[in-house]
Amino acid sequence: MTHDSSDVADVAPGQPMIELHQISKWFEDFQALREVSLDVTSGERVVVCGPSGSGKSTMIRCINRLERHDSGRIVVDGIELTDDMKNITAVRREVGMVFQQFNLFPHLTVLDNLMLAPMKARKMSKKEARELAMLYLERVHIPEQAAKYPSQLSGGQQQRVAIARSLCMRPRIMLFDEPTSALDPEMIKEVLDTMVELAEDGMTMIVVTHEMGFARTVANNMVFMDAGEIVETAAPEVFFSSPESERTKTFLSQILIH
Amino acid sequence: MSNAEPMTRARPPARRRLKVTLLDAVLIVAAVAFVAYLVYRVNAYLVYHWDWGRLLQYFFYYDPDQDQWVANLLIEGLLITARTSLWAMVFASIFGLVMGLCRVSHVALFRMIARGYVEFVRNMPPVPFLFILFFFVGNQLLKPLELTELAQAAPPYVQDVIVLLFGELNLLRNFSAAVIALALYEGAYITEIVRAGLLSIERGQWEAGDSLGLSRTSQLRYVILPQAVQRIAPPLANQFIQLIKDSALVSLISIQELTFMGNEIAVSTTRFFETWLIVAAMYFGVCYGLARLFARMERRMNRGRM
Amino acid sequence: MTAPSDTAVRRSGRITRIPWFDGLQFFLLVGGLIYLAVAGASAFNYNWQWYRIPRLLYREVDGEFMLGPLIDGLFVTFELSAWALPLSIAVGLITALLRRSDSFAGRYLASGYLQVIRNTPILVQVYIFYFVVAPIFGLSPFWACILALSFHEGSFTAEIFRSGIESVPKGQWEASDSIGLTRYEKYRHIVLPQAVPLMLPPLTGQVVTLIKHSSILSAVAIFDLTTMALDLIAETFMAFEIWLTTGAIYIVVTGTLSIVVGLFEVRIRRRGAR
Repeated sequence: MTHDSSDVADVAPGQPMIELHQISKWFEDFQALREVSLDVTSGERVVVCGPSGSGKSTMIRCINRLERHDSGRIVVDGIELTDDMKNITAVRREVGMVFQQFNLFPHLTVLDNLMLAPMKARKMSKKEARELAMLYLERVHIPEQAAKYPSQLSGGQQQRVAIARSLCMRPRIMLFDEPTSALDPEMIKEVLDTMVELAEDGMTMIVVTHEMGFARTVANNMVFMDAGEIVETAAPEVFFSSPESERTKTFLSQILIH
Repeated sequence: MSNAEPMTRARPPARRRLKVTLLDAVLIVAAVAFVAYLVYRVNAYLVYHWDWGRLLQYFFYYDPDQDQWVANLLIEGLLITARTSLWAMVFASIFGLVMGLCRVSHVALFRMIARGYVEFVRNMPPVPFLFILFFFVGNQLLKPLELTELAQAAPPYVQDVIVLLFGELNLLRNFSAAVIALALYEGAYITEIVRAGLLSIERGQWEAGDSLGLSRTSQLRYVILPQAVQRIAPPLANQFIQLIKDSALVSLISIQELTFMGNEIAVSTTRFFETWLIVAAMYFGVCYGLARLFARMERRMNRGRM
Repeated sequence: MTAPSDTAVRRSGRITRIPWFDGLQFFLLVGGLIYLAVAGASAFNYNWQWYRIPRLLYREVDGEFMLGPLIDGLFVTFELSAWALPLSIAVGLITALLRRSDSFAGRYLASGYLQVIRNTPILVQVYIFYFVVAPIFGLSPFWACILALSFHEGSFTAEIFRSGIESVPKGQWEASDSIGLTRYEKYRHIVLPQAVPLMLPPLTGQVVTLIKHSSILSAVAIFDLTTMALDLIAETFMAFEIWLTTGAIYIVVTGTLSIVVGLFEVRIRRRGAR
């Protein structure tokens, strides 16, 4: 795959990267996703919002197969997700994910956290992996923390390490699952700034977040979900000024007025 | 997850197809080969002639004198196992509750006694423990009480009740000694269950009791224990199953429970294979059945609480 | 069954320690109990013959030092446990891995094994191995006993492995998946490095359990410490002296091991709290 120095996808903008076609997902009797369809093209930045339990996280977790969808089709960068483990691993290496709880590996140093996947999954040499890791640590502005363990860092620093860890796999797509929800208020900005920089580099991103300021500056496309369905999809200027659906209006009024 | 409207739809989630992996194939072949080898060894090498029918009479046999079916050794043994386990559980729970309270006491002496008891049992192998206590309890504590003589002096209907509850009169001392020895062994584990249950109650509950000016006894009695009981009950139920299994050990001190009877039958019939498989199956039936029952009760209890 | 060992009870933020006065009371109490037991036995005209006990531990014949039968038995106990420990760990590891595997046959085999072991008495398992399995496969009594112990303890070690692996938070599994590690890499680099430190203390604690449970093998013909004690009592009728001596030997061995395990656990926990 791509081994050039930038993380910009080497495909022309506008080419389809993720296709969700009528996917449904049940947890026992609870239907978490109801025939959700969404297309994301290369370089597009999608922000997903909606009340808790609306299926936002489940949807993006289906994209790298942390959850198995029960019906419908998911095609990521030309690879269809089936039960075939080979396809799943291939997709996961193309898709980076940042979690709400960071999920750094506590028994490894920051540098080892970053080097693990390039060495194991991409079979890079130790030297190459170290250079790559330092490159991305610099990009998230914390190269001086390389030798520390995750528990010695602040929440904001941990989340930036987690972003760098994903970037080390040189993903073509980045998924963010409420990346700032577990952070103290004063640390949210440093993480969002890192994400904005990533967007400016042209990364294809899907971000689940309630940070509407971030959404306004970064998103090309807003998706509002409720009760397992995509209720509304619109460009941010339209989405915030004149949403079509009543449910969107109610939701926006609840989170914007305070 | 909060969902305002009910989210169930007519279409159920697609069931995952059963996938047969390479490991499945290897394991199934290995298992079949193992069973085949087993059958070959038993039938061709040992030339063992199975005779299950002969053992069936040890469940029940037909007594022509009484003109009815009578329970035989296996059923008798099972009943004595049940009797031993139930009584041992009663005493073990008492020891466990008292020692568990000592374990969290403010008085260091009580804590030391309880700790010493638990550590002693934990580090002592069960067989020497049972023998030592059986001798001590039987010879020193119970002998002077002369239980058998006492019971024999009782009126006949009282004797009937005693026989029903404790077994034959002339074995009363042995039975009691075995029950107490077993109860002391299991009591140590129950002590730890009770202690864990008490410590699992949040500190805030004690503090709330303190702030209301309740004495420590009242805090325990009205605040902590009622909450702890719900957390103690499931592990206690499992300990009962453990106790039933451990009760097999009292066959070594000549209590005629199921394992003892198994030994008798195996030796007298020389049908070792059938006897031990049947005895194991009987224990399995009882323990597995109880485990399922307790699990179901626990689920119901949890549901009731929500 | 393991519970955190603490000499101090923590409640309402206070830590109460054991003062020397309570310690004194405790030892007086234990001493009193022992005195009562001895006095009680004497009252029943029990003929104490402690002087005959050292001979059961060691002898000197023509200036040559020889081990007595009880110590011989202790060594058999050690030998049984030493064989059963690695075997039970292997059984437990295989069971735990099969339970987590994709293979339905593997999961059924593993849970079937666990259910059978958990729902039958260890004594009956020993009888089955001794009277049924051994003749079928032509095993010696010694190996029948080791296998019985190994398969019994294997159910405990399987549980230790399972809870160790499951104690690794879900996020760690998901993070490893999301960076594209294979199953082997996930276990090797992420799960096991975090789970093994949690498994080590209970696994070493299994040594104590093994030694304890090996006493049950005395029910069949194997010359471990408990069997020796039973045989000697049958010969000499010194039930109290021999049982108390045997009990003391066991307590010294398992108690020492327990303390070592406890220290080990504290060290691991301290290192874990980096």
